[in-house]
Amino acid sequence: MITVPLLGIPLQVLLGQLLLGLINGSFYALLSLGVAIIFGLLNIVNFAHGAQYMLGAFAAYFLLKLTGIGYWGALILAPLIVGALGLVIEQLFLKRLYKLDHLYGMVLTLGLAMVIEGVFRHFFGAAGLPYGIPSALQGGQNLGFMYLPNYRGWVIVASLIICFGTWYLIERTPLGATLRAATENRVLVEAFGLNVPRMVMLTYGSGVALAALAGVMAAPIYQVSPLMGTNVIVVVFAVVVIGGMGSILGAILSGFTLGLVEGLTKVIYPEAASTVVFVIMAVVLLTRPAGFLGRNQAAPTGNSFLADAVSLGARRWTKPVEIALLAFACVAPFFIYPLFLSKVLCFALFGAAFALLAGHVGLLSFGHAAYFGAGAYVTAYTAKAWALPPELAILLGTGVAALFGLLFGWLAIRRSGIYFAMVTLALSQLIFFVALQAKWTGGEDGIQAVPRGRLFGLVDLEQPLAIYFFTLVVFVACFLLIRRITSSPFGQVLKATAQNEARVISLGYKVQRAKLLAFVLSAALAGLAGSMKALVVKLASLADVHWSMSGEVLLISLIGGLGSLLGPIFGSFVLIGIGDYLAAAGAWVTVLQGLIFVFSVLLFRRGLVGGLDDLFGWFARRRGKAAAPLAIRPAAGE
Amino acid sequence: MAEPARQAAAAPFLEIRDLNAWYGESHVLQGMSFSIAEGELVTLLGRNGAGKTTTLRAMMGILDRRQGSVRYRGEELIGARSYRIARAGLAYCPEERGIFASLNVEENLKLLPIIDKGGMAVEEIYELFPNLAERRRSDGNKLSGGEQQMLAIGRILRTGARTLLLDEPTEGLAPVIVQRIGEVLRLLKARGFTILLVEQNFHFAATIADRHHLVEHGQVVAMIPNDELDAQRDLLRHHLGV
Repeated sequence: MITVPLLGIPLQVLLGQLLLGLINGSFYALLSLGVAIIFGLLNIVNFAHGAQYMLGAFAAYFLLKLTGIGYWGALILAPLIVGALGLVIEQLFLKRLYKLDHLYGMVLTLGLAMVIEGVFRHFFGAAGLPYGIPSALQGGQNLGFMYLPNYRGWVIVASLIICFGTWYLIERTPLGATLRAATENRVLVEAFGLNVPRMVMLTYGSGVALAALAGVMAAPIYQVSPLMGTNVIVVVFAVVVIGGMGSILGAILSGFTLGLVEGLTKVIYPEAASTVVFVIMAVVLLTRPAGFLGRNQAAPTGNSFLADAVSLGARRWTKPVEIALLAFACVAPFFIYPLFLSKVLCFALFGAAFALLAGHVGLLSFGHAAYFGAGAYVTAYTAKAWALPPELAILLGTGVAALFGLLFGWLAIRRSGIYFAMVTLALSQLIFFVALQAKWTGGEDGIQAVPRGRLFGLVDLEQPLAIYFFTLVVFVACFLLIRRITSSPFGQVLKATAQNEARVISLGYKVQRAKLLAFVLSAALAGLAGSMKALVVKLASLADVHWSMSGEVLLISLIGGLGSLLGPIFGSFVLIGIGDYLAAAGAWVTVLQGLIFVFSVLLFRRGLVGGLDDLFGWFARRRGKAAAPLAIRPAAGE
Repeated sequence: MAEPARQAAAAPFLEIRDLNAWYGESHVLQGMSFSIAEGELVTLLGRNGAGKTTTLRAMMGILDRRQGSVRYRGEELIGARSYRIARAGLAYCPEERGIFASLNVEENLKLLPIIDKGGMAVEEIYELFPNLAERRRSDGNKLSGGEQQMLAIGRILRTGARTLLLDEPTEGLAPVIVQRIGEVLRLLKARGFTILLVEQNFHFAATIADRHHLVEHGQVVAMIPNDELDAQRDLLRHHLGV
């Protein structure tokens, strides 16, 4: 047997893993290509791309099952069907968001992905359905040094052809020139007489069709499963960041390369195979912030994501509402289950930590699950295995989260806007895989039956009321702390940074340092929330570090109203209420959450607190009108 | 049946009436009104911030909030989407020139759709601007300012549009190139194009235009035929400081 001399690995094993890597890479490339095309023109990070890939596979499955149309027919029909769905999505939803911050598009497509995947999970569970290899491609070739199954060879060749065909179409044809021009400046291209709205619609549809095509090709290899997209989408985002956002060639090349690197890692150091892409991403960001082939775009100043948030500062009504909430919090545990309320408070704190960064600094992190989960795991482990008292376990959990915040924040604050969101997301996946693979975290089981212990050796936290009031005290303290921070001179610098970073720099402030400090604070508070949660629920599990937790905290802040301190309290109440009281509904909870995302982004961007603000404002105006006629706002169009 | 035809004939070729436009809260155009006859070369002159560029942008439908009336050959364009306005026959050459960096010269030139017969062929445009022919494979961001401007004018000649809206085509260019652009504009006028020219360079404008509109605070405050410029020195000095 031939072995590779240096590594002592049989050549066959090495080549086998490289082949697997190349196949994964083919799918990374196909999916990244679609994400890059959509991002280029629409500036939307299409979070639904994974779900649309899954839909492609299911379309092939149904075509075979219901109409008897096989693989080759599905290869044409499935992309058309799913692409048409993409056109509908663009017309119904995305079209309404083009004038808003691009992050809203990311949030909305995340909501759509949750809806689609939730529905399929309800009907098909998490297991995969088999889909056969077409008869023409069965069997394989003995290449002498290894055996190559025909279908896998076909996947590699087909995806190379599709990828470079698409590249040629965009970079070398008149149609592509139109697309490139519109990517640069769509307003001007439209003023030159090109029907840009239609072009945008078709581009989204084509990107989605590419995802579906990849789904059909994946069906015989990975099986058809509702979760096949969720697992791959975050890797795809990392691939796109590494290649350079919006760069077609970058997406293709880094897709294939990273697939190979993953395969190679599996041979050399299998434990790191699932994290290597994210590590590479971190290194690339350090050395080439725009990615390998990305043009170094200047970060846009003035983050309109805040336009809805900034308007939610302190109002005349906030104080009475706060007092009413505190009074409610003191009596509520006597008629509502205290552990439910404690959980609400933990997630409200998590939401507040997130909103400190998103609403106040304008940095939307999509990786806050990392800090929440790190806090939860460290507290759970130290409380259980080391039998630390709760106060120390919490302190350690918070501290570790803050350290991760320092490290990841240092990497992430180099970018802003949508890039920042994707970088934080990818970094948080590192923590997820550590939690999945490390021995002490308990893998799929997590750390269960965490003892709550005696607080300062005095209070027995196993009593539901005790843990509740402890959580309440921690929450109120953090609430006041966050308010103190945001109203301090430091907080003002942060707020100004969100509105116009360049101007703040020109005034002599060290913006990067202020952002990093805010990031660490936010991560620490998120870690504290996770630590508290581990004690309240007596469990630290993979759900705490999974990226969907980052989506959940975004949802909590969004429902409540980004930029408002009170918002997360309401948001947490609603979301935890849905999760706990509808737990029996299973996957429908995800669907409902997704719908809330979509609804919030389309109609309700100021959240519940924004609604409250409108309501109180309306009352105030009514009363004011009765007393003395106020100046009327100038009507639009006068 | 004859009635609408007669009206169209009587209406001006291009008429802007009571045009209002806003950037966010600020009310930039406050009732712009002027009209242009077919084949005329007319300018909008005024200081920085008077609303000249905004007028062109509002006419092209690039601004979200605009009101009033823009009638071109009898067709109302005020509510239309930007690409429909372009296809009605208004060709726009923006102040920043709008050359696409990721497209080469020829791709830039061929980007715009043909909207009517009578547009120039690519080779004709290269004859008009020989520099561009030499650089037809260069990327848009590798061009000099003058080459960019020639490309920006050249590419709208291919579409068959008969009315050109040019925003400061001479800005920041060397005198010899300004002179060349002046020659081209005279040539285009001779070929029957209707041109609305936004200019800061009054002396350049005076050499080619039929009439001038002085713009201030988003309104046309005076109209001066080119041959009365000398008689109206005081007015010009007052509004432009030249």
